[in-house]
Amino acid sequence: MNITGFNKILFPLAGIGILLLSILSLLIGDIATDAMDVFNSVFNYSENNLSELVIREIRFPRVSIALIAGAALSIAGMLMQTLFQNPLAGPYVLGINSGASLLVALGILSGFGFLSSEIGLIGSALLGAFIFGLFILFTASFIRNQIGLLLFGVMLGSFVSAIITILELSSEAESLKAFALWSMGSLNGVTIEQLPIIFIVFILGSTVSLFIVNPLNILVLGEEECRLMGYNVKRLRLMIVFITALFTGLITAFCGPIAFVGLAIPNLTRMLFKTQDHKLLLFANLMFGALFLLGCDILIQVMSAWILIPINALTSLIGAPFVIYILIRKIR
Amino acid sequence: MIALKNTDIGFDTTLFSIEETAFGKGKVHVLLGKNGVGKSALLSTISGLISPAVGSLTLEGKLLSDYSFKHLAKKIAYVRSNVTEVPFLTVDAFLLLGRYHYKTFLGGHSGEDYALIQKAKELFGIAHLAEKFTNELSSGELHLCAIAKAYVQQTDYILLDEPTSHLDYANKRKVYELLSEMAKAHNKGIIISTHDLDLAFKFPFDFYLIDSKNKNLKTIRTFKEVEKEFI
Repeated sequence: MNITGFNKILFPLAGIGILLLSILSLLIGDIATDAMDVFNSVFNYSENNLSELVIREIRFPRVSIALIAGAALSIAGMLMQTLFQNPLAGPYVLGINSGASLLVALGILSGFGFLSSEIGLIGSALLGAFIFGLFILFTASFIRNQIGLLLFGVMLGSFVSAIITILELSSEAESLKAFALWSMGSLNGVTIEQLPIIFIVFILGSTVSLFIVNPLNILVLGEEECRLMGYNVKRLRLMIVFITALFTGLITAFCGPIAFVGLAIPNLTRMLFKTQDHKLLLFANLMFGALFLLGCDILIQVMSAWILIPINALTSLIGAPFVIYILIRKIR
Repeated sequence: MIALKNTDIGFDTTLFSIEETAFGKGKVHVLLGKNGVGKSALLSTISGLISPAVGSLTLEGKLLSDYSFKHLAKKIAYVRSNVTEVPFLTVDAFLLLGRYHYKTFLGGHSGEDYALIQKAKELFGIAHLAEKFTNELSSGELHLCAIAKAYVQQTDYILLDEPTSHLDYANKRKVYELLSEMAKAHNKGIIISTHDLDLAFKFPFDFYLIDSKNKNLKTIRTFKEVEKEFI
């Protein structure tokens, strides 16, 4: 890693930011709590104390999933952008989320008990993400144009949402409500019992990503260059799709679709660090992605006194203008 | 020695056939021919990017397809005609990618790697570009960097697809002189394609013409023999 000047302070800055925002996030909410409650909820926990209960069972899982989801989606976006040599790529715009959504919709709305169970939901999201990931990979070998591929992803999204609309019309009121809530995206749904498995999957995917940083550095020059430098590109492509699908499927299963984080943060980190060193970019995406989504969640908590904003709506409100900014820069 | 025997050359369809040719070390081999006649296809075939549908292609007596990708990357470097420009990738970082195949897992680059890119920057006169991003370079500067990267790769053979087409006259000369020098002093086998006939014929290179009528490859000794093909 080659960190110089301004870059040196970015990592400590992000670290401090994450720490402060995490503490802030544990403290704010409808039920008043103070630092002592946070301390007690970890070291001297009593279920009878409402403040400690809220911190441990509600706020801690929410902070954790915000950090993990932000990091995972950003890493997934970085991988896709490098794979397709396209700054406009990301798990959401290319329709990986749509794949997860489609199968989850089939699961929840079809009314089959198993499919709408927790395991069924996670399984469908992962499977959907993986199938659509392979589909995009296959399509990308025909559509070389960067904006063309983006349009393809958008069309895929429209197609899937049409199918979902039809499914919605013909399903029960109760499952319809469950699906509608899921599709808005929420960081509140994760319980403290689910956290370890999410964390393990996240660490697994991140570790595999760390193993491929060297070939990723070559891949920015294109697949042929990668092959000429002695790396098996086919295997690398599959690994990227696998990690992307794993991360997107996992987060989509637990939090619903979260738009644009995977597109905006990898671009932001490349602009901030001005590098193509993927070892550095991997950690940068991990930290800034986590920081960003936690920041979004705090904003939602603060605003909730006046207006309820689903997380997916907030990230779209911030992300869509950012994508337009990148588009304008590119087209110029 | 890179040897081809009864080989069909082409991307999807056969463009021309080679009866028997060998490209040895210590020389610069120059491929001539009209646009679209199959120069790039031949270079891509030798690089291992595409495999010949018919015929044999050997490197040091062993079939090219029997080499692992990694081993091949230590033997043959290929500078393609269009070099990808990448934002936020500095020339230094770009050159270091040429040492990728010597990098250990998660490890950094050795002092030798840095010494090599320093040498390459001096040789090709691109030291002043070191900190620039590759998308900020002119296409000529970018090509010089790509050739420098092939040098850094330290392979026995270097293939270059129209390396001089984006360069100004002085740089064309410099590249030919450097290639000539590398072939002789470092005993490298260098194969290039070019349309810069006048300049190339001033150097003691070996010339080959891909004949568009007979669809074959033939050895050329004088400029006169080429004229027919182009006029």
